[in-house]
Amino acid sequence: MRRTEDKSLVARRLAAALTLAVGAALAAATAAGGCGKKDARPAVRFLEGPDSGGGWKEILARFKAVHPEIDVELVEGPAATNTREDMYATALLSGDTTYDVVYMDVIWVPKFAAQGWLLPLDERLPPAEREKFLPGDMRGSTWEGRVYRVPMQSDAGMLYYRTDLLAEPPETFDALVESAGRLQQPPGLWGFVFQGRQYEGLVCGFLEILWGHGGDVLDAQGRVVLDSPEGVQALTWMAGLVKRIAPEGVATYQEEEARHVFQEGHAVFMRNWPYAWTLAQAVDSPVRGKVGICPMVHAQGRASAATLGGWGFGIAKKARHPDAAWTFLSFATQPEQMKLLHFKNGAIPARRELFKDPEIVAKSPHYPDLYRVLLAARPRPVHPAYARISDALQVHVSAALVGTETPEAAIRAAAERIREAVGR
Amino acid sequence: MKRYLYFAPAAALLGGVLALPLAIGLARGTGHWGALFRDAALPRIALTTLSFAGASVVLELGLGLAFALLLHRTFRLRGPVRAAALVPWALPTAVMAMSWRWIFNDTYGLANDLAVRLGVLERGIAWLGRPGTAFAAIVVADVWKTTPFVTLLLLAGLQSIPEDLYEALSLDGAGPILRFRMVTLPLLRPALALAVAFRLIQALGAFDLVWVLTGGGPADATRTIALYIYDQQFRYLDSGYAAALTGAFGLATLALAAGVGRWVRGSSAS
Repeated sequence: MRRTEDKSLVARRLAAALTLAVGAALAAATAAGGCGKKDARPAVRFLEGPDSGGGWKEILARFKAVHPEIDVELVEGPAATNTREDMYATALLSGDTTYDVVYMDVIWVPKFAAQGWLLPLDERLPPAEREKFLPGDMRGSTWEGRVYRVPMQSDAGMLYYRTDLLAEPPETFDALVESAGRLQQPPGLWGFVFQGRQYEGLVCGFLEILWGHGGDVLDAQGRVVLDSPEGVQALTWMAGLVKRIAPEGVATYQEEEARHVFQEGHAVFMRNWPYAWTLAQAVDSPVRGKVGICPMVHAQGRASAATLGGWGFGIAKKARHPDAAWTFLSFATQPEQMKLLHFKNGAIPARRELFKDPEIVAKSPHYPDLYRVLLAARPRPVHPAYARISDALQVHVSAALVGTETPEAAIRAAAERIREAVGR
Repeated sequence: MKRYLYFAPAAALLGGVLALPLAIGLARGTGHWGALFRDAALPRIALTTLSFAGASVVLELGLGLAFALLLHRTFRLRGPVRAAALVPWALPTAVMAMSWRWIFNDTYGLANDLAVRLGVLERGIAWLGRPGTAFAAIVVADVWKTTPFVTLLLLAGLQSIPEDLYEALSLDGAGPILRFRMVTLPLLRPALALAVAFRLIQALGAFDLVWVLTGGGPADATRTIALYIYDQQFRYLDSGYAAALTGAFGLATLALAAGVGRWVRGSSAS
């Protein structure tokens, strides 16, 4: 990458030595405590969010029963995914071996792979095995033809609607606006809520609308095609929602704000992730038993699309025991473990067969519908500069929503910034 | 010789955790300084940062001076009132910013509720959903949070002004306004300069407040330079440019704070 690497390495070593010296002096002064367990590190360590349901701990216990010789440690990090991304990136960037296994959001894959931080897994995961995972999750695990991630949890955006207010969900953008406009009675009941704050979630929602209009950000050759007539149509439709069928405040909503409005019964439609279904159907939810899900609507003659989320395992290139790491992650991504994580932590399995699993369908009757959504799920633009692409979209889609830019100008400006980002 | 020895551990620590990383950062950024001038997004972000810092520091000085003058007088319960005035400053910024996010919420926020009840607004608005009001919101939250800090500095300055100067002026028949102009303001200048310098440095580098309250939106109207540097380093993995930005920004901040501080302090000499 940069040629200043060697110089900064020396400087970094110097800094480390100095810090060590200071640290040693401090430690000596305080009469050293128990810091002699330097080599008692587990063979495999990875970072995840808080294990809220206890599913991960049980998976680790199961693994220990089968493979007592491999010690696995789960570091429970912060719930905010961007913070965990920073933690992984900092560790991998400095080349240390804090984490052997990388539990990755689908959008990290190209960035981490392009940096050379990950081990390709093609040989370990033969094509016949890949077939068993949801197609979008597998595509999102691949970078420049090589597989870097084994999917564990899937996720995709979709449309929620109130089954007590309409019998059949709409299929097209026009039909959505029509029925939302007909049924709404603002401010008590709005037509449609979604994630409109300037952040990653805004891009996810916009991409579904863009794809549903037949547009895209990059084409198959990686050229920027955002500023097409379809792109302008998509953003024009989205910006037109605000104040007509969506509250003005939608420009400040993230997932939870939208869910609160919908769950309190103040919206007919909502764009959100699958997690909201369980909460909206909870015993104390005012809309319990009145919630339906379907794929996001699409333009006449086009197909629905969902933005793919989801998590999976990669192996760090500098992992000390890559074989042990592989043993662990192939165990963790078996159907039984995915089921466990589903029941304990509410994770959506990434294997196709589990959507027909009688136990899962008995507890989650919406899973066949969810399967339809997940099959239509597409990864966000797969590019190492995705963060820049996302920021360009965030800024200009937000500007169109709040009316400081026309949809045409916003699309043009975003496309220009994305060209700069992919061109460099 | 001995005193240098005593100084050594502190110097080593500061050198190791502050000076050395700073030097490495500046060295790393050297190849990227040119990019600062080609960055089309930078002027607007710099302007947003300056406007935010300017607006909040001016408001904080005005309010802080008023509060300090009030708290300087003797009245019953002065102790508890002084302590209470410090509460906003003692709160962690992220927690405070989260509360402001609720206050400015469009559907159940306090700001809308009050405005509608008082008849100022007919219907609630999405404060954080419009570029202008979102910018005002981060200024308001920052002023609320850091006015106590300015108050504290100015109060300390007020207490260092000898009482007999006021008495002497009173004997000469000077009223309260004249006493304020002749004694309070000139003698308060060092404290004012200190407050301006401290607050400018903090406000120009504001991150947590903006991050939680608006995330830089809507339409990038509240994106400050600190958010931008974070993106360069952690999201774009462009350490070189992040280092150049940090270096340039750090130097500019110091220069600005020193210049403004000197101006506030210095114009008393005339």
